[in-house]
Amino acid sequence: MTTRISDRAGVLAWLFLLPSVLYIVALVASPFVLAIAFALSDVSAGDPSYDYVGGRNFERVFDDPVFWRSLGNTFVFTGISMVLIVVLGKVLANILVADFRGKWLVRFLVLLPWTTPVALSSISWLWLLDSIYSPIDWVLRFFGFLGPGENLYWLGQPGLAMTSVIAVHVWRLTPLAAVIMMAGLVAIPRDIEEAATVDGAGYWRRMFEIKIPLVLPVAAVAALFGAVFTFTDMAVVRVLTRGGPNDATQVLASWAFYRGIEGGDVGQGAAVALFLFPLLLAAAIAILRVVRRIEVW
Amino acid sequence: MNDWLFGTPRTRREVLRAAAMAAVAASVSTACAREESGGPVQPPSTEAPLETFSEPRTKLSGELKILLWSHFVPSHDAWFDQFAKDWGGKVGVAVTVDHIDQAQIPTRIAAEVQAGQGHDVIQYIATLSQYEPSVLDLKDLVDEADNRWGAQLDLCRKSSFNPATNRFYAYSPGWVPDPGNYRKSLWEPVGLPNGPTTWDELLEGAARIKSDKGVQLGLGMSQEIDSNMVLRALMWSYGASEQDENEKVVINSPETVAAVEYMTRLYQQAMTPEVFSWNAASNNQGLVSGKLSYIVNSISAWRTAQGSNPAVADDVFFVPALRGPKTALAAQHVLYNWIIPKHVTAVDAAKEFLLHYTANFASATYHSKLYDFCAWDGLTPNRNAWLTSDPFGAQPADKLAFLSDAIPWSANIGHPGPASTAIGEVFNTFVIPNMFARAVKGEATPEQSVADAEKQVTAIFDKWRAAGLVGG
Repeated sequence: MTTRISDRAGVLAWLFLLPSVLYIVALVASPFVLAIAFALSDVSAGDPSYDYVGGRNFERVFDDPVFWRSLGNTFVFTGISMVLIVVLGKVLANILVADFRGKWLVRFLVLLPWTTPVALSSISWLWLLDSIYSPIDWVLRFFGFLGPGENLYWLGQPGLAMTSVIAVHVWRLTPLAAVIMMAGLVAIPRDIEEAATVDGAGYWRRMFEIKIPLVLPVAAVAALFGAVFTFTDMAVVRVLTRGGPNDATQVLASWAFYRGIEGGDVGQGAAVALFLFPLLLAAAIAILRVVRRIEVW
Repeated sequence: MNDWLFGTPRTRREVLRAAAMAAVAASVSTACAREESGGPVQPPSTEAPLETFSEPRTKLSGELKILLWSHFVPSHDAWFDQFAKDWGGKVGVAVTVDHIDQAQIPTRIAAEVQAGQGHDVIQYIATLSQYEPSVLDLKDLVDEADNRWGAQLDLCRKSSFNPATNRFYAYSPGWVPDPGNYRKSLWEPVGLPNGPTTWDELLEGAARIKSDKGVQLGLGMSQEIDSNMVLRALMWSYGASEQDENEKVVINSPETVAAVEYMTRLYQQAMTPEVFSWNAASNNQGLVSGKLSYIVNSISAWRTAQGSNPAVADDVFFVPALRGPKTALAAQHVLYNWIIPKHVTAVDAAKEFLLHYTANFASATYHSKLYDFCAWDGLTPNRNAWLTSDPFGAQPADKLAFLSDAIPWSANIGHPGPASTAIGEVFNTFVIPNMFARAVKGEATPEQSVADAEKQVTAIFDKWRAAGLVGG
């Protein structure tokens, strides 16, 4: 007796998985292997011929003070952004699940930053943070926080420039975190919250003892997404500051681009970019472990 | 009023043009033995030049795909696109022209080189030395151009020729000067109605303007192209440079430290932290909006102001490179590099087009509103007439006359040596603006900042020297 292929569960499972596997191999695994190969070579923007050079690119990268500055900036940038994205995402998620008039409009506006192309939104921010015409400065002047003709020079001072880059990132990624956490909030069984309300638990008690603990695994996933997107992003830095002033906002992804493509040293750029991988892997494992522990509890 | 010429009614302008053409043709008849050798025959005064055409040296066919920047003066692109298509129509080549933002071009070239396909001939506004291993040696093209039109301008040659490998990695038919732009109404009250002529005058005048009027000076120390240009100009004027003429790193010198110390004084007395945040458009915007007393830039910002803010445009004047303790030099603002990647098959068409484009460079100069200058000076015989009587509405009409003498005070990136791959990486990773910015902001002493920059520059030079692309 013969069995049709569609009746064989194992084969069918592989057939369904195949597009995803091909996608991952073509667009994730291959570039990753290529990056490792480039990092061990002298490939440059103008010379694609491959010569193995061992760990020379890594030695040069470790000798480069801009690399260490970029590494530190990447942690600061990612850490602060992640905390803000999770906290603000949770606040927004509460608003999105609430019932009120014009809810659809609020949802639309909340999702707008996530759907706007990053280059476009960053250019709008470039104007908002302009050294002379910043509307933020204008408002601060109007309310007397700045004197006449005084400016904050958002992108010209190291601290303010990093604050600006983080703010734009948080603005972009918070809607994504909010939508993820909204899904978590909606999934909480209503009877639990109703029972707590009947037992006399107030808003804040329900928030901290029921909603937040139950939504924590989903929040961790939002944090993971936020960390990965922030850690690997160079668009905001490139459009807003190009890593300046004086490399104060340079991050690993942007430095890999400047060194590898603009500077022409693809091998060294790949070595810098590759440094993202172990850090991201460690972060992903740590967060997923936390999620599993929370689920086990 | 009409005149008669060869039995046909002609306007007076046509008669004068014909007479001028006849006179020019007679005077260059000997030189015209070789086609295009004298460049286009041009009408006198301030009219658009006539274009010339000569048959290619070989029979052409197929396609030619051209990639170049979106010019800062849009009228240039309208002219160029039609010019290229017209040439293709005459020689039997289907020409495609793509323009993209100049900042995207290096990334695009890298992608096309890695892919082994793309455009046949690519133009960029700075040296493309980093692509030398993947592009054709264009020595034959430069030799042909030299044979037709004389010696190429030194700064263009130094930005397209690698003496370490003896190869022309690019063809450089043009460049753009980088003068000082100042607001006359601000500099008149401080006793400098014709603008500053030295770096010391700049410090003195700009400091007074900032304290009296609250208008700051606009020299960038940011991670962008204009900062890279002006800070090199300051270094050269102080006798400092990144490398010597033999490509040996010499940045750590008392002259560089003195230039950094000068910039610290200039910043403290005449600027604000905004200069650390700038992009390539910031100083243009600041000048046009009347917020800056002096910038170093090409004439494009002023051309923009002619349309958007005529009052400011009429108040903007220009000065050549400022004199420092050693000399007066400015970096070229734009340096045209055309490359032909090795994977290209339409090599003959690409080279013939570049010769045709160069022969008609007077049109490029004219349609870029006197922005583009030619590497073979004789090809734009009317340039000085245009500069002394601007065809595009300068007030006064001779505002740009000083550019007639721009060559002696202009230098290539990498001066006094060539623009090599190492110089390109130093440029693109903003080592020089950061060297100045660190000292100016007090993050390091001038000596320490220069020493740190030397470490970075030396590492970059050693790497490319080991690859055989840099001499010294």
